Amino acid sequence: MIKARKIDVSFLNKESDFPMKPSGYMCVNSERKVWLIIRKRKRESKKNFWVVETCVLCTSVDQPCELFFNHEQVRTMSRVKRRTTHPPYWHVLKNNQRQDEKISSDNLRFVREVIQDKYKNKSPIKGSDLDIEKKEWDPKTKRSGVIARNIGVQHMWEKDGKKVVCTVLHVLDNHVIRYVPPEEYAKSIIGAKVFRNRKPLGCLVVGAEAANPDRFTRQYCSLFNEVGLLPKKRLARFIVTPNAVLPPCTPLTAGHFVVGQAVDVYGKTIDYGFQGVVKRWGFKGGPASHGATKFHRRGGTIGTGRDKARVWPGQKMPGHMGSERRFCRGLKIVRINMKYNVIYVKGTVPGPTNSIVQIFDTLLPRRKFTEAPPHPTYFPPEDGTLPQEDIWDSNMHVFGSPSISV
Amino acid sequence: MLRRAVLQTFRQGLAQSFFKRNAVSLSETTVTHQPIETSNEADEKSVSKQKPGDESGNTVVVAPPEFRFMYPEFLPDPAMERRNRLKEKLERIDMLQRRSVVEIPEFYTGSVMAVTVADANSPNKFARFVGICIQRGGSGLRAWFILRNVVDKQGVEILYEMYCPLIQKIEVLRLERRLDESLLYLRDALPEYSTFPLDMEPERRLNNSVVPINPLKVKLRPRPWLERWERQNLQGVEDLNLPQRFYDKAEKVAKPWEKYDLMLQYRKTIPAEEQEKIFADVHSQLQQQEFKRKIRRQHSALNDSHMVRVGRDANPNQTRISGSIVPSCMLSSAGDMTFRLETYHY
Repeated sequence: MIKARKIDVSFLNKESDFPMKPSGYMCVNSERKVWLIIRKRKRESKKNFWVVETCVLCTSVDQPCELFFNHEQVRTMSRVKRRTTHPPYWHVLKNNQRQDEKISSDNLRFVREVIQDKYKNKSPIKGSDLDIEKKEWDPKTKRSGVIARNIGVQHMWEKDGKKVVCTVLHVLDNHVIRYVPPEEYAKSIIGAKVFRNRKPLGCLVVGAEAANPDRFTRQYCSLFNEVGLLPKKRLARFIVTPNAVLPPCTPLTAGHFVVGQAVDVYGKTIDYGFQGVVKRWGFKGGPASHGATKFHRRGGTIGTGRDKARVWPGQKMPGHMGSERRFCRGLKIVRINMKYNVIYVKGTVPGPTNSIVQIFDTLLPRRKFTEAPPHPTYFPPEDGTLPQEDIWDSNMHVFGSPSISV
Repeated sequence: MLRRAVLQTFRQGLAQSFFKRNAVSLSETTVTHQPIETSNEADEKSVSKQKPGDESGNTVVVAPPEFRFMYPEFLPDPAMERRNRLKEKLERIDMLQRRSVVEIPEFYTGSVMAVTVADANSPNKFARFVGICIQRGGSGLRAWFILRNVVDKQGVEILYEMYCPLIQKIEVLRLERRLDESLLYLRDALPEYSTFPLDMEPERRLNNSVVPINPLKVKLRPRPWLERWERQNLQGVEDLNLPQRFYDKAEKVAKPWEKYDLMLQYRKTIPAEEQEKIFADVHSQLQQQEFKRKIRRQHSALNDSHMVRVGRDANPNQTRISGSIVPSCMLSSAGDMTFRLETYHY
């Protein structure tokens, strides 16, 4: 996939013989060469999807470009690897191979005591403890996200009686592990890719679901040594602006979000395994009867004989379906239960029940915050007053309230 | 955990106690499978189980075993992939909250019920429908039931979601059971079996402790039918009088081994231990709500005797406008055939 940007083409020499007027779009391909698109056409089935027919290689935008006519059709359905089942090579080995240790119960008890001593309960960080100066919120701030588990789907009703399917997300015991400042993050491999042409932002590493350190390797547990927390089963990175930084060991709860706001939920879709072409791509298959011989759920033709004389890359065929990273954008929060740390979100979320998802403030421009949210995160009031347990959106019918009469 | 003997005896206990239902609350009942369990403990792993009521000091509230039939929607969907204890707990809290506002009485398929729903298109903003419950299902807040009636020679079925806030009132006019769990065959039966007067009064029963089983055998209309009733082992239907080839085919297609398949049963049901926990939790709340309702009823009865209430809180129960009780969108041009319209969802 190539991203294209509109530029001012007046620098081009008017006497030069172009086959036609340049379209005014510039694109950068994977070899970091700049191409000026002269001719393009839209592909029928996709919206922002061009097949570039003619483009010109430029050395830079400001100088007059070297004309190099390339008439190759670029097909954007490239053979990108859609999923990996192994973690990236820079991840430390996480899970311990269970050795069949014959350990006596006394020694086991001792080991447990050592673990308890090492990870003694740390008192949660309060709002007043924040070392960093509290910076003001502005519309361009990016706050941290939260790791949650999708625990199921519940039906709720709006005040006019309309039924709404809501996903229940249980915010696990999130703690901030580490903050990587923008300059440092931009030098890392992922950071360099993310911020290639942009101003770099910081990265907050958040962990969820504390577990027994026995099941993890020493290298993995060392990631949490600085903070002094029990090692977490899940880690996630959230891109934050420097004014939304949180110190390590800060807990993140459901109160981080506001009822009525829009969130984006990232998760891995349901794994369907190896699926045929009808389920995977929505092909129609063949007739069920009328003499069809062994052609009920097959794909049919996979190419013409004449043009190119081969199967094009990206041809839809059976294969592994699901288990892909997807975002569900702009889901509205209709209810927050502060006691159980549970968020009810209108709509459905990628992934099966009991899978882990990440929740962030939405990036959809029309649904972003207009007023300041709990920034940088929510801290319970220090005078000991408990927050309201169950917060509902104004549009929703609360279950304990009288029946709706239209 | 599959404790076969326990499950069996639990089920036996349920079957027995269902016919002898105690209306009084049971706060320290020992569940019927207690004495048999002690002999089986030696066979099982050394799992220490606290017996309710036996320990000195703490008494545990145990719901009567009939709750499994009276309130089946409190049990979650048994599919293990989609189960989560926290979510079920939160859903139960919401269900009980809703029940504190609207009384959702005990009913079974075969009971005749009247439901009043808020409807913007009705003349007095409420629509009341009377019908026999032919099917019920769903778990949690998605629980639903279908009421069927024949209005102006037109068969009408309406699916109601039990916890929908548009529902103002659910009354059970006749509480009884039939020989089958699902009465979908009434669609192919003669219309008189599905006809109930729309202004039916609630029937009072002399013997409150037993839910009667109506042994009625329904006559079906001649074929064609909507389903192959001969393949479904229906008890509440008269002899179908079909040619022998139908019964032969039914035998070929039948799965007689399923009644011996314990794992199938296990996967379809929630384990007995969990059911006890769930209903113990629910039982105390429902008791409190019932108590409050009784007080409210007594209070209002006293008030009514003192002063006359005219036109206040127009009781939807009393509005009986012939013909327009059923939402007008449901009635189509009537013919002699009674056929099921698309079930109308509230």
